[in-house]
Amino acid sequence: MTKVARDGYTFYGKQKGVGTVPEESRGSAAGQEFSCGDHIVQYSPEYSFCTGCVSCTIVCGLSHEGVTGRSNSRIQVDLDARSMVHTVLACQQCADRPCYEACPKKDSAMCVDPETGVVYVDEENCIGCGKCMRACRFTPSRISMKRDRDRKKWKAVKCDLCRGNPDGPQCIRWCPVQCLGLSSGSVLLPDGVRPEGR
Amino acid sequence: MPNYTKKDILENPANTRGLYGYSGRIARIDLTTGEISTLDTYRYVPEYVGGRMIVNRIFWDEVGPGVGAFDEANKFIYMNGPTTGTGIPAGGRSAAGAVGAAVDPEQFTWGNIGGWFATELKYAGYDGFIIQGRAERPVHIRIEDDDIQILPADDLWGLRVHDAQRALEEKYGREFKSMVIGPAGEKLVRLATVTSANDCVFGKGGFGAVWGSKKLKAITVHGTGVVVPADIDKLLYLRLHMNNPSMRPSPVLHLEKFGVPGAEFDVKYDRGNVACSPGCNQRCNALMMNGPTADGGSANHIEKCVSTSTYNWQTDLPATVGQFWPTEKNYCAPCKLLGRDFPEPDFSDPDFEAQAKPIRPDVYNLWKPDYERGTVINDICNDYGIDKWEIDVWLLTWLAMCAKEGLLEGSDLGTGRTPDVEDLEFLKTFLLNLVERRGYYGDLFAEGMARAIRKLGYEKFSESIYHGRYSAELDGQRLDIPVSLHGGWGQSVHWQGRGYEGSVEKPTWLAANINRMLSTRDANTVEHFHSKFEYHEEAMADPYHSPHLIEAIINVQNNAEIKDSVMSCEWQSPHPWWPEMEAEMFTAATGYAMTPEELTRAAERSKLLFRAILIRNHGRTRRREIEEIWRVVSIPDSWNETADWQQFNEMVDLVYEARGWDPATGWPYRETYEAHGLADVADRMESLGLLPERPKPGPRDYGEPPRVLFVENCRKERQARAGLSNE
Repeated sequence: MTKVARDGYTFYGKQKGVGTVPEESRGSAAGQEFSCGDHIVQYSPEYSFCTGCVSCTIVCGLSHEGVTGRSNSRIQVDLDARSMVHTVLACQQCADRPCYEACPKKDSAMCVDPETGVVYVDEENCIGCGKCMRACRFTPSRISMKRDRDRKKWKAVKCDLCRGNPDGPQCIRWCPVQCLGLSSGSVLLPDGVRPEGR
Repeated sequence: MPNYTKKDILENPANTRGLYGYSGRIARIDLTTGEISTLDTYRYVPEYVGGRMIVNRIFWDEVGPGVGAFDEANKFIYMNGPTTGTGIPAGGRSAAGAVGAAVDPEQFTWGNIGGWFATELKYAGYDGFIIQGRAERPVHIRIEDDDIQILPADDLWGLRVHDAQRALEEKYGREFKSMVIGPAGEKLVRLATVTSANDCVFGKGGFGAVWGSKKLKAITVHGTGVVVPADIDKLLYLRLHMNNPSMRPSPVLHLEKFGVPGAEFDVKYDRGNVACSPGCNQRCNALMMNGPTADGGSANHIEKCVSTSTYNWQTDLPATVGQFWPTEKNYCAPCKLLGRDFPEPDFSDPDFEAQAKPIRPDVYNLWKPDYERGTVINDICNDYGIDKWEIDVWLLTWLAMCAKEGLLEGSDLGTGRTPDVEDLEFLKTFLLNLVERRGYYGDLFAEGMARAIRKLGYEKFSESIYHGRYSAELDGQRLDIPVSLHGGWGQSVHWQGRGYEGSVEKPTWLAANINRMLSTRDANTVEHFHSKFEYHEEAMADPYHSPHLIEAIINVQNNAEIKDSVMSCEWQSPHPWWPEMEAEMFTAATGYAMTPEELTRAAERSKLLFRAILIRNHGRTRRREIEEIWRVVSIPDSWNETADWQQFNEMVDLVYEARGWDPATGWPYRETYEAHGLADVADRMESLGLLPERPKPGPRDYGEPPRVLFVENCRKERQARAGLSNE
C-alpha cells in the first residue's frame, strides 16, 4: 500500500524535500517555504490513523534517556482531547539547519552527521542555552530542553533519527499502528486520489 | 520539584526501598481552607501497590461514618499507578474513590478513567491527590509541577465539557491536561461524570456531582518532569506481548453498515480506532467521526459497547460461551473484540464449537435503528457530562417499556411532547431538562433513575411487567421483565442475566450478580466474569456449588483491585494464561520483585479495606446485600430461570467462607484482617462491635426471601389469566 505523508510536504528522492511551515505552527515562519531532509512523518489516516497512544514520545525518551517525559522526547504529539485526531510533531531536519546555525558551540554541542546530514546534539558539550530551541522555525519548537534540578545541567534534545541505533528510529519501530515512517518512504498523491486499496 | 532524573527518584529520602515508577508524592488540596500539602507515596507502597488500593487505605483512615456524597467531609481521592507514564500498556489509566452520589443509597464507591491526565500528573511529580473540603465559589485547580493553585472558575462555570476543556487549553496551553465536569455536575445531577480526554469519564460513581458539591469545575495539570521505569527491556517485552498488539496500520474506514452481527443497519460513516490513554499498545476504542450533535454541529465520539445499543435496541447484544469461558487456543482479549482486531479462530481446538457457541439474545423491540438519534444522545451525555449507562440502559429502556405498557399516558414528562423514545426532539428536551434540573421532571430524573422511580411510585414504575420481551433461546417464548432495569445499588443491569447484555448462562450471571452485590455500583467495568472453558461443564452442572466458579468469582474481584492499582484495564487484563502478567508489569515499573501471590494478597487486603469501609461507614450486612440483589435474580433469564433462594444463599456462604467472612453477618473475622496486615482495622471494628463470632457448625436457616413486587405482579397476572381461561 502506498504510504501518504500527512504533513503536506513533497519529497524528491531519498533525503531531500521542500515544505511549507504549516499555519498551525503559529510562529513567524508560518507559510515560509524551506527545504527539509529525510525526517519522521505521520502517514495519512487513510493509511493508518494515529491512536493518540503517544508510544512514539514514550519510547523516544526510554531509548535515549531511560525515562519518559515531554521534555525528554524528541518527538511530540499535538493531542486533541475532543476530536481525537492527533498530529505528530517531528523535527523536519531542515536543510538550512537554523538550530545548528544558532548554536554558540557549533560542531561541538550542535553537530552535523557527515554521512546523513542529520543535526544532532552532543550533550557533553551542550550548555543548555536554548538558542537552538528558539531558532527552530516551528512552534512549538521541535527541540526540547531536558531539565535538571540544577538549571546549569539543562540540555537540548533533538531528533537525530536514532543515529547509531541499528534498528533505526524507535518511534517508527514501536508505533502500534505503524502510522509513522520516514519521509523518504512516503509519497504525496495528487488531490482527490486515495491510496491503493480504498 | 518534579523528578528530572533517575537520581531524583532514587535519592528521595522517603524512598527507602529504592522503588522506580512512582513520583513519590500525593497532593492534599483543601478547598475549604485553601491549604495545599503533600504526603509521601512511599508510606503506602509497595504494600498498597498504587491506584485503588491506596485510595481505599486513605479513605479508611480519613473518612468516617455518616459522611454523605455532598458533605464537605467527603473526599475525592485520586491515584495513578506505578505503571502510569512508563509505557507499559494500559498503565495510563487511573482510579478514584469517594462517597458516590450515583450510588443508592450513598456509599463509598470507586471508578477508573483513561485519558492523558494521569500521566501528566505524574510528570508534575504526583502519584495522586486528595480533594477535600468545599470551596465557597466555583474554582478550578491548576497544577504545574510544584505550583498548585486553587483559582476562580467563574469563566468556566456553566460551560459544557468540551467548551471547558477548550477554555482551559486556551488559557494555559495545550500541554495542560484536564479533568472537568459539565453543567450536570455543577447542578449536582447524581449521574454526573468527570471527563478527562477521549470521551473517558469517571462514569458510574456520580463523582461529577461530588465535584459540583465542592464547587470544583476542573483540575488541569502540566508537568515537566519524568517517569522512570526500572526495567526497560522488560517493559518493551510487555509492549510486544501483552495481548499481541497488531503492530500494523489501522486506517480510517469508510463504512456502510453499523451494528453487531445480526443487528446491522445501513448508514454511511467513518470510523477510526484510538487508544484511551498514553502508552497503550492496543486501539480498542472505536472513533465514530463527524456524527451529528445536539446543537446541529458535528463531532467525533467514542463508541463503546453501551453506545451501540443507543442506536438500535430491537434485540439485546449477542454473546458466546467462550466470551466468559475461553479455551487457551481461542482466547481473545476484550480489547481485540472492541477494536475489531480479532485473531483468526483456531479450528484445531477440540472445544472450538462448544466455546464459540453463540447465545442468542432476547428480542425487546424497544427502538428501531437510528444513527442520528443515537449519536445525538451520546453527544449530550459526553458534552453535559452524564453517565451513558444510566441513560442508555436504564432511562431509555424505561421510557420505551413504560410507553409501550401505557404507563406514561397523559404525561409529557415536562417536554410538551408525547413520551416516545424514538422521537429525537422528545429525548433532547427530556435530557436537557435533566442535565439542567429544569422543571419538575428534570429535577426528578437528575436524582437518578432509582430515586426518581421511587418518587414516581415504585410498584407501578419499577415493577410493572413489560410484555414485549421474547427469548430467542426458547424459540420466541415471551418472558416477563420489569420496566425498570435496575441491577443493584442504583445502577443499571450489566451482564446480569436479564436486560442489557442479559443473555448469558446461569453460572455467568450468578457470578456477575454476586460481584454486583458485594460492590456499591456496577462492578462490570473491571469485574467482567472470566473463567476457563475446562470448568464450564462443572459450573453448568451445579452453578451454585461449583468450586471453580467460586474461585473464579474471587479471582475476578481480586483482579479488579489489581487492575485499578498496578494500573491496567478491563480490556487488557487479566490474561487467563499469563497469570503473572500484572506482577511482571509491576516489577518492570518499580524494580520490586513482585510475585503473583503477593499481588493477590495486596488485592485481598484492599478488598478487605473496602469491606470494612462498607461495614463501618454504611452498615453493610449479608441480609442487606442479598436484599439488594435478590430482585434481579428473581427476574427470568433467557431460559425462563431464576435463582433458587436456598441454593443462592449456599453460594453466598461459599463466597464468604472463601473470603474469611462470617456467613451470618458477612463481616470478616479478626483473623482475616490480621492475616492481611490489617490488625489496626480489626481493632477498630472490634471497638465498634463489628467483628463477628465464629458460627456454630450446622445447617443454616436463611429465612424467607425478600419480597419482590415484580414477582408478585407476574404471579397475579398469571392467576388472572388462568382465571379468565377458567371462566
